[in-house]
Amino acid sequence: MGLKLENVTKTYGKKKAVDNISFSINKPGIFGLLGTNGAGKTTTIRMILDILSKDSGSITWNGKNVSRKDVNFGYLPEERGVYPKIKIIDQLIYFAKLKGISKEDSIKSINKWAKILEVEEYIQMTPDKLSKGNQQKIQFMTAIIHDPELLVLDEPFSGLDPVNTGILKKVILELIKKGKYIIMSAHEMHTIEEFCSDIIILDKGKTVLKGNLNEIKSTYPANRVSVITEKGIDDIIEEAKLEIENSHDNYYLIKVKNEQEAWNLLKKIVKKNILITKFEIMKPTLNDIFVEKVRS
Amino acid sequence: MKDIFIVMKFTILDMVKRKAFIISTIVILLLIVGGFAAVKIFSGDGKVKVLTILVHDQENIFNNKLDNLNLKELGYKFSKTDKSIEDIKSKVNSDSDVDALIINKNKDGSIVLTYIVKNLFFSNGIPEDLANILSSVYTSNGLEKLNLTKEQIASLNPVFEYRYEQAGEEVKGNIAVMMGISIILFYAIYFCAFQVSSSITTEKTSKIIEMLVTSTSPRNIVLGKTLGIGIVGLCQLALNILTSFICARIFIDKQVLSKVVDLSTITVSLALITLLYFILGYLTYALLYALTGSTVSKPEDVQSANGPVAIIAVIGFYLSYFTMMNPTGKLNLLAALLPISSPFCMPLRIMMGLASYKEVILSVLILIITIIVVANISIKIYTRAILYSGSKLNFKKIIMLYKQK
Repeated sequence: MGLKLENVTKTYGKKKAVDNISFSINKPGIFGLLGTNGAGKTTTIRMILDILSKDSGSITWNGKNVSRKDVNFGYLPEERGVYPKIKIIDQLIYFAKLKGISKEDSIKSINKWAKILEVEEYIQMTPDKLSKGNQQKIQFMTAIIHDPELLVLDEPFSGLDPVNTGILKKVILELIKKGKYIIMSAHEMHTIEEFCSDIIILDKGKTVLKGNLNEIKSTYPANRVSVITEKGIDDIIEEAKLEIENSHDNYYLIKVKNEQEAWNLLKKIVKKNILITKFEIMKPTLNDIFVEKVRS
Repeated sequence: MKDIFIVMKFTILDMVKRKAFIISTIVILLLIVGGFAAVKIFSGDGKVKVLTILVHDQENIFNNKLDNLNLKELGYKFSKTDKSIEDIKSKVNSDSDVDALIINKNKDGSIVLTYIVKNLFFSNGIPEDLANILSSVYTSNGLEKLNLTKEQIASLNPVFEYRYEQAGEEVKGNIAVMMGISIILFYAIYFCAFQVSSSITTEKTSKIIEMLVTSTSPRNIVLGKTLGIGIVGLCQLALNILTSFICARIFIDKQVLSKVVDLSTITVSLALITLLYFILGYLTYALLYALTGSTVSKPEDVQSANGPVAIIAVIGFYLSYFTMMNPTGKLNLLAALLPISSPFCMPLRIMMGLASYKEVILSVLILIITIIVVANISIKIYTRAILYSGSKLNFKKIIMLYKQK
C-alpha cells in the first residue's frame, strides 16, 4: 500500500530536471517534498500525477504503475488558477464530473466543504469577485471534492492570512485522520516541520537528504542555546568565545558546536550567580538542515 | 468519451453565458435585419422604378408618337408638356423621378434633342436604350409618311430576340452571390476555429490547465473544446442564415430575389453538403488552432503564434474566391479538392452544378484524412506543450516536442 518512486529520471534537452530519485510513502500522513527553486519538485509532482512522462525508473501506487485513469488523485498546484468568469459552483461540478462524480454527489460534497472552509456565501458567485485567499480555498475544494486517495499540495498556505491558514491546517489534519496520503511541497520549513513525518530534499534534481524528520534531526548535534537571564551575560559569552545570533532584553540566542559547549556556558553563568529564567539547548531546525544541505 | 462530452458541455455553457457572445450575436442579427430593411427602403417596393420624361416638342417633330408608347417595363414614361423651359427645369429639379427632353430643329434641318437631368454630375448622358427608342420612333414616323404598309415598315424595323449560350459547361446561379457565400463560409469557419486557440490559451495563461490535465487527458480536452465551440458556432451560423432567410422573404420582392439567387438550386441536400463542409472545414482549422494555442504562455503572444494558421486560411480562401471568377477552370477544381480551400469552394461548385459525385467524395475524403492527421499532431503537441511556460515556442522547438517520447 502506498506510493513508491524508484530511480526516476527526467531530462529536458541536456538538463536533468530529476536525477535518479527514489522514495516511498508507506503509511497515511504528509510527506514533505523540499527543494530550492528549480530543484525538480514540480517535475517530480507532475510525474507522480502522470501528466508528465518519466525517462526512466518507476512510479507505483499500491504496487501498480501510476496512471491518471486508475489513481484517484487530488492536486493543488503552486500556480493558482480558476475560471474567473464562471460561477464557482459550475466549475466545481465540472471538475468533480471529470473525476467521475455525479452531479448530485458533487453538490453534496461542495456544500460540505464550502461549510468547512467557510466559503458558503461565495459558491454562487464568480471567482473574479473573490479575494486571493478565498480563490485559493475554492481551488483547494477542487482538489479534494472527489475524496482522493492521494493528495498533492504544492505550497498550500502561500498567500493565506493566519485565519485562513488555520482553517486549511484543520482540514489537512482531518484528511490525515481519514487515512489520506498527502505530498506537501512548501518553502516555509516550519510548515513542513509541523506536518511532515518524512521528507526528501532535492537540489538540482538530485536527492540531498531523505528520511524520517525526527531521525534526521537526531543525527545532528545541538547548534544553539536559548538563554534568558536577570541581567546581561555578554561578557560571559565573549569569554566562552561563542557567537550571539540574536539578543534583546537579556534574551540570547547563541551558536554552539555541540551540547558540551552549551553545558560549559551554563556552568559559567551559574558560577557568577546570575539568575537564569530559561536555558534551552536546541537541535538544528529543518531550515538549518535544508540550508546546510543545499549549500554544501 | 464521457469526458469529451463533459468538456464539450462545459465549453458550450461557458461560451453562451459570456456577455461578449450574447452581445455579438444580437448585434449580428440586428445588422442582418437592418441590412435587409435598408435594401427595402432604398429600393422602394422592389418593382422597377419608372422615370417620367417630360417631352417638349413644340414643332411636333415626333408627331405625338412618343405619348402612345408603353415603355414602363423598360422604366420610362413619356409625358408631353407645353410648359416653358424654365418651368420644365424647375419640375426636373424638384422631382428626382422626372427628366425632360426638349426637341428642336436647327435651320439646316438637323434635330437637336436636349436631355435635361437634375444633376449632370450623377448622369452618364442620354441612356442608350432611350436613344435607341427615340431613333426608332423617328424612323418609323418617317417611314409612315412614305405610305408603306405595316408589313413593309415591320420588315425595315425588325425586332430581334437575343439569346446567350455558353460553349462549355453551363453555370447556374449568380457568381457574385456565390463569392458572397464563399466569404460568409470563410468568416464563419475561421472565426469559429479561432475561438479554440483563444480558449486554450486562456486556460493555459490563467493556470487552470494544470488542474484540468490532472482531471482528464489532453486528448479529451482538445476534442471536447473543439466540438463545444463548433456546436456554438454552427448554431450561431444557423441562426444568422435563418434570420437572413426570413428577412429576405419579408423585405425583398420574390421576383427581385429570384434574379439574385436561383432559389431552385437551394435544396435540402445542398444544405446538408454545406453543413458537412462547414463541420469538416471548422475541424481542420480548429485543430490547427488548438496546436498554436497550446504553444503560447502569454496572451500577447497569441496573435503571432496564430499567424501561420491565419496565412494558410487566407491562402485557402483567396484560392477559392478568385478561382470562382472562372468556376469551370482547373484551378477552381484544385481549390475544391485542397483541404485548406475546399470548405469555402466545393459547396459553391455544387450549387453551380459543376461538381461531380466523384469530386465531392474525393474532396470529403481528403478533408477527413487531413483532420485525422492534424488531430493526431495537434493533440500530441498540445500534450507536450500545454504545461510548458516561458517564451513562445518556435517551429524548431515544436518539432522537438513532437518527436519527444
